Amino acid sequence: MKKHMSEQRKKEIMAAYLFLLPTLIGYAIFIAGPTIAAFTLSLCKWDVLTPPNFTGLSNFRRLLHDARFLIVLKNTLIFTAGAVGLEIIIGLIIALMINRGAPGILRYFFRTTYFFPVIVSLASVSIVWQFLLNTDFGPINYYLGKLGFDRIPWLSSSRWALLSVIGLFAWKNLGFYMILFLAALQSVPRQLYEAAEIDGASSWQKFWGITLSLITPTLFFAIVIGLIGAFQLFDAPYIMTEGGPGDATRTLVMYIYLNGFRFLKMGYAVSSSMVLLAIILICTIFQFGVGRKWVFYQ
Amino acid sequence: MGFLSIIKSRVKRHKSNIINFVIFLILILGSIIIMLPFLWMFSTSWRLPITSFDLPPQWIPTEPRISNYREVFETIPFFLNVSNSLKVGGLITLGQLLTCSMAAFAFAKLRFPGRNFLFILLLASLMVPLQVIIIPIFILMRMLGLLNTHSSLIFPAVVSAFGIFLLRQFFLTIPDELVDAAKIDGASYFTIYWRVILPLAKPALSVLALFTFNFYWNEFFRPLILLKSYDKMTIPLALVQLSGFYSTGSVSIIMAGVSLAIVPVLIIFLFTQKYLIEGIALTGLKG
Repeated sequence: MKKHMSEQRKKEIMAAYLFLLPTLIGYAIFIAGPTIAAFTLSLCKWDVLTPPNFTGLSNFRRLLHDARFLIVLKNTLIFTAGAVGLEIIIGLIIALMINRGAPGILRYFFRTTYFFPVIVSLASVSIVWQFLLNTDFGPINYYLGKLGFDRIPWLSSSRWALLSVIGLFAWKNLGFYMILFLAALQSVPRQLYEAAEIDGASSWQKFWGITLSLITPTLFFAIVIGLIGAFQLFDAPYIMTEGGPGDATRTLVMYIYLNGFRFLKMGYAVSSSMVLLAIILICTIFQFGVGRKWVFYQ
Repeated sequence: MGFLSIIKSRVKRHKSNIINFVIFLILILGSIIIMLPFLWMFSTSWRLPITSFDLPPQWIPTEPRISNYREVFETIPFFLNVSNSLKVGGLITLGQLLTCSMAAFAFAKLRFPGRNFLFILLLASLMVPLQVIIIPIFILMRMLGLLNTHSSLIFPAVVSAFGIFLLRQFFLTIPDELVDAAKIDGASYFTIYWRVILPLAKPALSVLALFTFNFYWNEFFRPLILLKSYDKMTIPLALVQLSGFYSTGSVSIIMAGVSLAIVPVLIIFLFTQKYLIEGIALTGLKG
């Protein structure tokens, strides 16, 4: 009997590894291997054509003194803060408004409309917005002109370009956060509000005390997802401004692309991608570590 | 109830009606802002190319013409680009459904040494952004002679830690008794996976399929790096090429191309949005 059992255990273990085999092979070749290679390459100087040269930490030392890298890092941080702030705040406000006001069919209509840009490619909408925002023949400046405003060089001045990309990104993604928040709002038990009303709580108190504190897990999840997505921005500035004017909209990922695939400085490009890895690592640790303490879980 | 309190509750109800109406107006205004760019894109795609830059924009083109759409097909191999995107997106989706469901089955329903370790290792890979591994992958594909092939896009994308995580969460909700009962009936693990688990997991599988297909249909960064020739390009890349050709010539032809890419997405979206939205809500609440 005992022998039979252990035979069955063996069979189960065998089966488990067979089921995992495709994933493990793919993981080794396309994720683990390249990650290790990336760490190694970040310590090398390599132009693809000649064999790589081990240079230790010199790539990272160069990054610290690379004025362009610091501009790019600053752009990425400004973009991320602006885009994540906007998409989450507007997404939350719209979710609150839909949750309060809209009955059946309207709720469906609004949800569908706000969500639609989320599933369209960023490349497509970047092309459309590039023309909408054109200084001289774009419809936006045309209508602003009708209202008596001066033309705004949305994409062609370094003052406006990054803001325009932030706006586009928030416009495209706020529907995603709206859906997350709508689901969270619907999971808040109604009795809590009724109890608070009996206690004479104002709408404002109900919002801070019940709604916001009960949706903090979702809010936190949304912020982390948003940060990770925004730090990887590439498509929109690549298509709309090519990083310009000057370096005004060049992001960290655009700089990685530029160094790696235009200047063929592979080692240097990989070492700047390590900075991205570090940022994302910090965001994730933040979620798992600090987040658990701050967030109110049911 | 006293007279005063009746008035008070009337005023309160009246006030909340006004607030609801204002909210409604804001929501309508917001949806207009969301949809106008698409409307502009579509109406511009029907304008006469020479006058397509003229202002004011024609929201309803005075002389709509289909020639812009014909021009798209003459400038870029659009049908080929669509079939490339279908091929890449479709095969990645099929591959992910298979590998992720197999791995998720092992993680959710089988006991084996190293289960937690392997699962954490997989989850950790979610933190490694694509941009860190894209250069090693580019070099690998170059060594294998796979640059400018669809395989270079498909193979690295067939494994997905997100997909495994999503499906595992769903499989955990399927009672173990079902698996045990099948085992007693003498079913092999493969039969349990294929005949018991997969049919029950259809909702989760369709959510993963929709997410994955949409993501790779829209993908831009990897195709930009790994593909070179026009006949291999997927739709987003081809549209950027088209936009480059005509950016000073005619915006109407570019918008015809973008419309061709977006209108099918809109139609599919109207049918599948329920699953997409439920999927996002589910991952959000679980996260």
